[in-house]
Amino acid sequence: MRLLWSYGAESSFRPEEFFGREEELTALLRVCLEGKSGIGSSVLIYGPPNIGKSSLLLKLKTELQSVTGATAPPRPFPFYYSFSKILSHPLALSQHFLQEYLWQLLVFLGESPPAAFDLDALCESLGALGHMECRDFLSAHRRYSDKGDGLSALANAFSFPFATGGNLWYPVFLFDDFQYTIKLQNMPDGAIFSILRPHIKSGHFPMIISGSSPGHVTSSLKREGLYGSFQLIEVGGLSQEASMKAWIPLFERRNIAMPEKLMSRAAARLGHVPIYQRMFAEEVSFRNAQIEDEVGFENLYALSVTEGKLNRYWREFFENAIPDRMSRARAVRFLKRVICDHFPIDTFEGAFSLMGSTPEEGNEILSALEFKGLLKSDFEHIQFLRDPVLADFLGWAFERGVQGKNTSQVAAAIVQAKISRSPLEEGREERERSAALAKEMMRRWDCREVPTLLFEFGRFREKFGGKGLLEVMIGLEKDPGTMRLPKVSSVSTGYRTRRDGSRFDFDLVAYGFHEGDFSEENLVIWAVDVHSEKTLTHTAVEHFENRCRLLSLEKSLKPGQLRKWIIFDGAADSTVMEMVSRYGIHLTHQTQMRLFLNLFGMEELETVREEKRPSEPRGEEKPLEFELVLPIKADTEVVAARVAEEVAAYASLDKDTVDRIKMAIIEACINAFEHSGSTTGKIRLRYVLSPERIELFVQDDGKGFRPSKGDDESKRGRGWGLKLISELVDDVDIITGENGTTVRMVKNLRSGDGEGTITSKDEG
Amino acid sequence: MSYLTVKTREAGGGVSVVYVNGYLNNLLGEQVEHAVWDLLEAGQHGIVLEFGETRLINSIGISFLIGIVERMRERNGTLAFCSLARIHRELFQVTGVSRYIRIFDSEAEALAFFAQNV
Repeated sequence: MRLLWSYGAESSFRPEEFFGREEELTALLRVCLEGKSGIGSSVLIYGPPNIGKSSLLLKLKTELQSVTGATAPPRPFPFYYSFSKILSHPLALSQHFLQEYLWQLLVFLGESPPAAFDLDALCESLGALGHMECRDFLSAHRRYSDKGDGLSALANAFSFPFATGGNLWYPVFLFDDFQYTIKLQNMPDGAIFSILRPHIKSGHFPMIISGSSPGHVTSSLKREGLYGSFQLIEVGGLSQEASMKAWIPLFERRNIAMPEKLMSRAAARLGHVPIYQRMFAEEVSFRNAQIEDEVGFENLYALSVTEGKLNRYWREFFENAIPDRMSRARAVRFLKRVICDHFPIDTFEGAFSLMGSTPEEGNEILSALEFKGLLKSDFEHIQFLRDPVLADFLGWAFERGVQGKNTSQVAAAIVQAKISRSPLEEGREERERSAALAKEMMRRWDCREVPTLLFEFGRFREKFGGKGLLEVMIGLEKDPGTMRLPKVSSVSTGYRTRRDGSRFDFDLVAYGFHEGDFSEENLVIWAVDVHSEKTLTHTAVEHFENRCRLLSLEKSLKPGQLRKWIIFDGAADSTVMEMVSRYGIHLTHQTQMRLFLNLFGMEELETVREEKRPSEPRGEEKPLEFELVLPIKADTEVVAARVAEEVAAYASLDKDTVDRIKMAIIEACINAFEHSGSTTGKIRLRYVLSPERIELFVQDDGKGFRPSKGDDESKRGRGWGLKLISELVDDVDIITGENGTTVRMVKNLRSGDGEGTITSKDEG
Repeated sequence: MSYLTVKTREAGGGVSVVYVNGYLNNLLGEQVEHAVWDLLEAGQHGIVLEFGETRLINSIGISFLIGIVERMRERNGTLAFCSLARIHRELFQVTGVSRYIRIFDSEAEALAFFAQNV
């Protein structure tokens, strides 16, 4: 019978792929070599399961083998023995121990051991080399076996190595998975230490003991008075640098490409634990997947934990350790709370109470967990509790077992939890308002074309960076790229639920169709997030992208069918910008949104927003001046009107006044366009706002302004311009000079000055 | 960046409604004019111009409206405006357009007028 995980590090160890741990190795090597001079000490290596303790021992073994030839005898003979292979009967253990020792010794001595793993044959081979003592031990072993005396058999077997070697070599014990010794039947705890005690004390036989349950081993050592002879070395995750290096051969061998900048993140996510790294690489290779970006990585990782290798790895452990389903579920729940929620366990009572069961039941579960290094006395070893992969597995097991979620939902939850933990309640009102605006806008876009600049913040900024909104509005006219918006048939405002601080939904999802054909092929889904935070973080973007991918999968959307859109209201740094363009997410700033709103004729909606702004300009003495340069092009006067409206809104003017100002400015612009004969192709506008009045200047650089002459101005009967202006505002001046013509319009704001309606002189 | 369209609707009894949505400038003015002419060619005699979704009107747009007024008068048709914003109603008064047309607060009122009088 081989116990679980016999396919551990031993069989899969590749010395050339061992990275990091230089410090530990140096210390261990020194201890082992000092055995020659009798000042060798022993070491207890401890750390969480799977962290790489066995690999460390195996690496030490190869290192010792390589130094062997170079030193004068006695040479160290590294003997690696894993107790994970022991049979719970002491007689079987003693037999196995002797076999292993003889086998490895023969290899060490340069012999090819016999094909059969046979004790007698092994002993014969050793005898042929002149080491006859083996026979005595073998006959003693038979004698004890016949009597069924396990303890004596064990003492005999474990004493054998010390009788060999003489001046030629000395054994260095590399005892792995030592915590399994507690499984020995009818053997007092620490019996093995009693047998080994005199040899350890001699200092000639360095012993490296490794186990994931240091609590158990140290208590045995203390009982035997050996604690002081042992150095303790804690093995944790690899260093950042080492785990980065560890990726390279893993990926190369499996032909996986991972962007370099992702490597450190991936290593950290896997706790810098080499075996997890390996399993992850295997998982990726198994799925023929490639890791293209951050979100891709997170998803593969979550997949691995929920239905892939990492899952099987831990699930097997729990199934073996706790066969009873009910107890297993409870144990998982218990560990989840301890590990995922970082619940402190000060007392066992606390631990039991966490399990929601009786102390007896709790004790039972804890005993079951003891099997693989999860011992009551180990809970103080915080590091184990921070194993991130185990925590995710437990999260999975918990969600699945306890809450009835399906695997993909749990995977999504893991990804979400990993990607974003940002608080959501901040700026909630602002965000909801923005979402409502966007929703209304999407309802109104109806197979329309809009400039792409409205969607792409990167290009927008590139083109208009550092300039004011007013200039931007003009510039839009020059943007050749347009984007066709679908006919949106439904927009739903998402909700952001909070669970472990993560978001699970979009702020908005809109379903629409291109070309008005309600077929599957024409379906377009817009997923929208609104951010009101000061800075758009890259985690928020990743998080969004991940939800998009999940949505795509869920709805089996083809590329291009899902449009991703983030509206934000702050700053975005270049990494975020790069990421956004890589994922093909439209990124729009609130400034662009305002242009959008204008385009969709939603000024009223926006005005509601604007009203919140304090109207301080009214109280200020100094006039506020706004300037705008307008290209002479059809319809750009709308922009001038829009700006006038903004300026008026800034001064909290009433709607009638705003409307009049808008019309007046439109007329002045049209006149300037038509009559100026400008050389630069631009006109210049100034809006001067004071508490008393608003003054509007429209200046062209043309040859001169000719006041319109009424109906005879053109066949179409145009030329209402100046007449209208004079009706709309309180005062109009036209100043023509060498540098062009300026129309100055004044609207008084003080009550009584300009409140009258337009006088209807022409009405008959 | 023109996304403006003129929509029309037959209200029955030889009356049609033309919706002037957006910025009434030369472009939209021309479209409205064409729409009205097409309706007249099709034998309609009552036209209601609906301004509920009109955001802006400029003087060129007004000149088109005057053109429509003239054409309607030539044809002995009846022209009504409805759902005007206050500023636009004032504008039509200032420019004298309102002297030649009927103005109603809503499309329903305009159609009711046509149902009774035309």
